[in-house]
Amino acid sequence: MGAKPNGQAYTSAAMKQFQFKDKYKLFLMAFPFLVLVFLFSYLPLYGWIYAFFDYRPGIPLSQTEFVGLQWFTSLVLNPYQMEEVLRVLRNTFAISALGILTSVLPVIFAIFLMEIKNTSFKKIVQTLTTLPNFISWVLVYSFAFMLFSVDNGLLNNLLMSMGLIEQPLNILASDNHTWLSMTLWGVWKGLGWGAILYIAAITGIDPELYEAARVDGANRFKLMWHVTVPGIIPTFFVLLILGIANFINNGFEQYFVFSNAMNMSNIEVLDLYVYNVGVVNNNFGFATAISILKSIVSLVLLFAANSLSKLVRGEGVI
Amino acid sequence: MTKRNKWTAAAVAIIAMLVFLSACSGSAGSNASNNEGNNAETEVSTDPSKQPEITLNVFSNLSNYAGEQPGWFGKIIKDKFNIKLNIISGGQQKASTMMASGDLGDIAVAIDIVDASKAGLLLDWNKDGLLDKYGQDIKKYAGQSLDAISKQYGGGKAIYAIGHNVGSGSGPSESANMTFGPWLRWDLYQKLGSPEIKTLEDYLSIMKQMKELSPKSDSGKPVYGFSLWSDWDGIASMNAGSIAALYGYNVGDGFNNSDLILTKADEAKWQGLIDEDSPYMRGLKFFFEANKMGLLDPDSLTQKFPDVANKYSDGQILFAQFPWLTDGYNTEERVNAGKGFAFVPFAEEQMSSVGFSPYGGNWYWSIGAKTKYPERVMQFMNWLFSPEGVQESRTGPKGLMWDIQDGKPTLTEFGYKAITNSVNMPDEYGGGLFKDGGNQINNSTLNLSTINPETGEPYDHTMWTSYLENNPNPVTKSWRDAMGALTVKEYVVNNNKVAVQPPYFSEQARMEEPSDIKQKKAEVGKVIKEYSWKMMFAKDDNQFASLKEDMVSKAKGLGYDEVLKWQVENYEKTVGAALKK
Repeated sequence: MGAKPNGQAYTSAAMKQFQFKDKYKLFLMAFPFLVLVFLFSYLPLYGWIYAFFDYRPGIPLSQTEFVGLQWFTSLVLNPYQMEEVLRVLRNTFAISALGILTSVLPVIFAIFLMEIKNTSFKKIVQTLTTLPNFISWVLVYSFAFMLFSVDNGLLNNLLMSMGLIEQPLNILASDNHTWLSMTLWGVWKGLGWGAILYIAAITGIDPELYEAARVDGANRFKLMWHVTVPGIIPTFFVLLILGIANFINNGFEQYFVFSNAMNMSNIEVLDLYVYNVGVVNNNFGFATAISILKSIVSLVLLFAANSLSKLVRGEGVI
Repeated sequence: MTKRNKWTAAAVAIIAMLVFLSACSGSAGSNASNNEGNNAETEVSTDPSKQPEITLNVFSNLSNYAGEQPGWFGKIIKDKFNIKLNIISGGQQKASTMMASGDLGDIAVAIDIVDASKAGLLLDWNKDGLLDKYGQDIKKYAGQSLDAISKQYGGGKAIYAIGHNVGSGSGPSESANMTFGPWLRWDLYQKLGSPEIKTLEDYLSIMKQMKELSPKSDSGKPVYGFSLWSDWDGIASMNAGSIAALYGYNVGDGFNNSDLILTKADEAKWQGLIDEDSPYMRGLKFFFEANKMGLLDPDSLTQKFPDVANKYSDGQILFAQFPWLTDGYNTEERVNAGKGFAFVPFAEEQMSSVGFSPYGGNWYWSIGAKTKYPERVMQFMNWLFSPEGVQESRTGPKGLMWDIQDGKPTLTEFGYKAITNSVNMPDEYGGGLFKDGGNQINNSTLNLSTINPETGEPYDHTMWTSYLENNPNPVTKSWRDAMGALTVKEYVVNNNKVAVQPPYFSEQARMEEPSDIKQKKAEVGKVIKEYSWKMMFAKDDNQFASLKEDMVSKAKGLGYDEVLKWQVENYEKTVGAALKK
């Protein structure tokens, strides 16, 4: 907005005056957003107080038993308990890491999709791959149950009738490759949606670059590799950094609907653990204590990523 | 942009912000105005149906239905009280949210009344003489329950709730079919020549033979002996727990927080849930053996209860742990063709049962403190506890569904058809199938086996003499001939196959779990639940044994012994001590 300095404003006194005059305006402009940040990012921290009480819904905090650091110490003092927390963190990190590794798939998908010249076919593919993103995980599970159930699943019926297997496979109640299969479900659901941003980025690449490359004798794959890929790498990195920021928040619904006794030890990520131990059993204090732990892990990750960035790029993000 | 415009823009932004903020706190504001409205509507007409129409919000932890009460029951209370019910289906998490919000609606069913009354969320029924004015039937038919709850939770003065299933009489308080099984496919069992069943494990070989007789379901799917589901599990497998009930043991004692112990229904005896020889572990072993023999539905781990119900309806499952599982299969058409489930006990069975309790059970009925219509809610609740209300809630409108013939209650010709859901209810009575139009709050008031003073027979129409004498279907007839009894209840009582838990009364409320016990139990329960399922689906005996070892050591490491000790102490002080006398 019209705060453009004109030529005469370059003397230091005028500069000072300009800053003084504008700082209220700027502050007022930023104010609504500051309030939002305060409301949604800082005010909820007040809720951390529940981690020090044995909170029971409905009863005001003043009448609730103060338990001090009990929820925290119980996490670390008992070796069995510690083992549980480490197991849950291991699952969280493994599934998130796989998720970040597969985040390159939408890039590849987008590049190849843009190479399809048949417009109607391209549109069909794009629609079909984007659609799963709008299906809730609960429905995805019932879909999975129809496909893979032992008793009446499509896959088992097919394989049995073709005579490929004698005993039906129990895919959903198996602990084999849980991390991988969860990642694949995530990819199936998110592939088309994730590709949208890259498709937009590809459309934004200057066509002259392609023409120039073609004149220089580049073939189709060379065009993809030397023009398209460098064109969307910045987008990819922005999304990658955002992904790393969400490393520990890998969601709840997916793991909740797919979990069962067989795969519980490998599928239980942090959010699901908080639900199973805290919310199901009405133990909100303990659930809060674990989410504080989550914030601490996030902080550690953030600073680790920052120092990595300093090391590699010579500048940090904070 | 000019300076003026800039200021305007900033002002608009701030105003937008304020509107947004006030929207956030909007709910608090409207609550306050609701409170003021509390006293506005105190006039209650003598004819309840002439009052203005209102909608009551009923929060029920037991309901499987959400929305406005449909069908014939909805019609009855609309005509009688001009009340509509908006049913809010519950669950632990939903209950916590409502508690934290400070408003439980008009009626709250099966909630934790200890915390709710402490938090001031429940209406005191003695306030302004509400109970005296509008609750005479409750006082008359469930007075002892009111006294008990007043002593336990209201310091002898206030009354915050009333128990469910209030009744009097001797013997089991269940209906004709009792609560547990096992029920088998009677037609197949007869074909096998009704082999004798001495122990629980004998069912396995019988299931194997029955499966050979009927390898495919009606729609051509594979048949299993057993099918389980995990979505109702608490801290242990609910289905394995149902096996303990066949030995007279219940998970918990019905009063305390005691879900890590199994207590004998009619003796002062308890066992730890995962003790070496506990009936729960026997249940796990039973299903494990069944799985080894290919009799356990491999989808048990991943399916939900509705999937199981569908499998029963299709004839895919041959063994039912609970009688009500068989409803889908025992349709009129099938039982008339001689196919259906019936109760087949084993020699050493001691079915767990609950005796009549004048104090009621702990799925409490309570009224929210913020209700705008305390008088009308009380009027409605009073009807639910009156003989007329109990009878009509169970059997439907008098005249249409049932009537008094020769001095005895009898289902009408239409009634017999409607209770099997083979015809729709007439539109002027609300329409739809009988089962869909029933009371969707899904909690009992007076015990249905109690005698209705107005008819001289139990409230439950399946226990009426007229019903029992009415032309039985081939399955029931064959079962009665073979067992020498009219109903399951009669059979288990005559043959001493039932362990009846006497009513328990305490002047003290139950102990709340201290915070450390609560947390340990959550962790221990998670381990027990997970490993129970793993054990049932273990590949071989070695894996079963090692999983069992893992479960015990993990559970003990997480504090099983301390939680057990706390629960046993409470049990021995209360229910156990009463049983010793």
